[in-house]
Amino acid sequence: MSDSIKPQTSGAPAPNSAPAHTPASAPTPNMAVNFAGIPMKNPLNTASGTFGQGWQFENFFDVSRLGAITIKGVADKPWPGNDGSRMADVYGGIINSVGLQNPGVECLVKDNGEYLESLTKRGCPVICQVVGHTIEEYQNALRLFEELAPWAAGYEINISCPNLGDGCAWGAKPETAAEVIKSLRPLTKRPLAVKMAPVNIAETARALEDAGADGLSLINSISGMAIDVQTRRSKIARPTGGLSGPAFHPIALRMVYEAAQATKLPINGVGGVMTGEDAAEFILAGATSVSVGLTSLADPTSPMRILEELESWVVSQGATDINSLRGAFEC
Amino acid sequence: MPKELKAHIHAARICENEQVARGLWCLVFEAPELARDLEAGQFFTIAVASEPRQVVRIPLSFSAVDMASGTVETIYAVIGPGTEALSRMERGETTSVTGPCGNGWKVSSQIKRCLLVAGGIGITPLLSAATFLSRENIAFDAIIGARTADMLWGEEALSALGCETVLLATDDGTTNFQGTAADGFCELLKTETYDCILTCGPPAMLQAVAEIAAGANIACQASLERNMTCGFGACSTCAVQTKTGNKSACMDGPVFNAKEVVW
Repeated sequence: MSDSIKPQTSGAPAPNSAPAHTPASAPTPNMAVNFAGIPMKNPLNTASGTFGQGWQFENFFDVSRLGAITIKGVADKPWPGNDGSRMADVYGGIINSVGLQNPGVECLVKDNGEYLESLTKRGCPVICQVVGHTIEEYQNALRLFEELAPWAAGYEINISCPNLGDGCAWGAKPETAAEVIKSLRPLTKRPLAVKMAPVNIAETARALEDAGADGLSLINSISGMAIDVQTRRSKIARPTGGLSGPAFHPIALRMVYEAAQATKLPINGVGGVMTGEDAAEFILAGATSVSVGLTSLADPTSPMRILEELESWVVSQGATDINSLRGAFEC
Repeated sequence: MPKELKAHIHAARICENEQVARGLWCLVFEAPELARDLEAGQFFTIAVASEPRQVVRIPLSFSAVDMASGTVETIYAVIGPGTEALSRMERGETTSVTGPCGNGWKVSSQIKRCLLVAGGIGITPLLSAATFLSRENIAFDAIIGARTADMLWGEEALSALGCETVLLATDDGTTNFQGTAADGFCELLKTETYDCILTCGPPAMLQAVAEIAAGANIACQASLERNMTCGFGACSTCAVQTKTGNKSACMDGPVFNAKEVVW
């Protein structure tokens, strides 16, 4: 695997400059990409909320081999998360209602800052997810990160958690989604990506681009239900929760494709990636990077397998650079 | 690291997988490093790749390990598609397990007499506790509660480990005690003195046992069950409400001081 970083112009897809055939003597393709101004040595990222703060996986593989990690969403103050049962198994995945339990930025940095800084020094950028109920809370959380986390490579602004009473509100409409990003843009020079709600993709993507976002990350889990028919109660403590896993990969893929058609912003594809083939689909649909989510929790060694499979796919396509395959889907 | 990392991935080869009581199976698999590292009260997660309704691994307590054969034994309940698929796995099949996970029972060598209170499948981590108590020469009794006698498991294993009194509490009274496990606890307290209670079972039973123990001023540890996604602290789905805020069953538990839990 190449450890070289190939910087590109922030926000712009790489030119399609790869030769048509891979020389037999050069089996290792360039896997380096640039997502939203964050140079990544390969396209593998982690879905926020499914990778803790990274250190939880150090027993399973060398986390610094990932292109980047996105840590679990953090607010300006601690959030307790939802009460009661928070997950249920369903066909092809799970439904969760964690409700963005988090310790707040200060505690997050106090407990994890040293590790996350060392991970950055080992060559793995750390993307910090920012959550809030109100514009003011988003701003406060981002200011705290700017003050306390000099190691942060960039931010993912979560405007789409399905497990907050009002969690989807900001991301549900283009105008409100843009309002959040406009309010945050002046507060940082670091890259701002947006974790989009799985609705109004094209229109919202364009609004976010106009508002100053550097990248899009999609999709968040989709609101769903699971009912125990014997007790007639929800299988989780709330009526609805977020569906994730391979069951929703085709939906995520379609939405990444829609976003790629609508904007020039780099896209991080998220949703049910279990294999290199799933990741390759996102790249072909227009994604620059790909996050592994539930699969990391089911098999914590899976990100490295997926990365190897993705690299093999690039070679199988006769390409020397994964950037040449971005958006190469042919209808 | 902010917290100690314990869990690793291990290959597991199934040696036995048989039904032992109504709704209960006994699984024995070979995973020598896991067998070596598991401490009483900890758990592991096991992959059942063939079931589309079980994408994540199933968290299970263990009942015993055998260092000589490098095997781990668990008694598990078949309660849904994932555990049904697990019950169909056959001797010689291989899968993957993650562990050891979580924190186990903490029993000081100063303890004079311990009582184990199990509700149904809650027997599993208490069997691992019994092995520990036996090895440490700490005297112990046990109560196993179930709705009916054919759902009980563990009496023979407990007796073999030196458990002095085993109260089998059933709703229909076809065993040596009619009533709930908590009722059995009250009954034993009339004649016996304990300085440590270890319990695992349904939430209502755990709460009742915790309250009786608190009333009698006896230290009580409870092993809590939660639906889990990872088992190693990365997802926040297994929250346990405690008097000092939400904790995770997989990293802070599954064994908690019963006085700390908000029931």
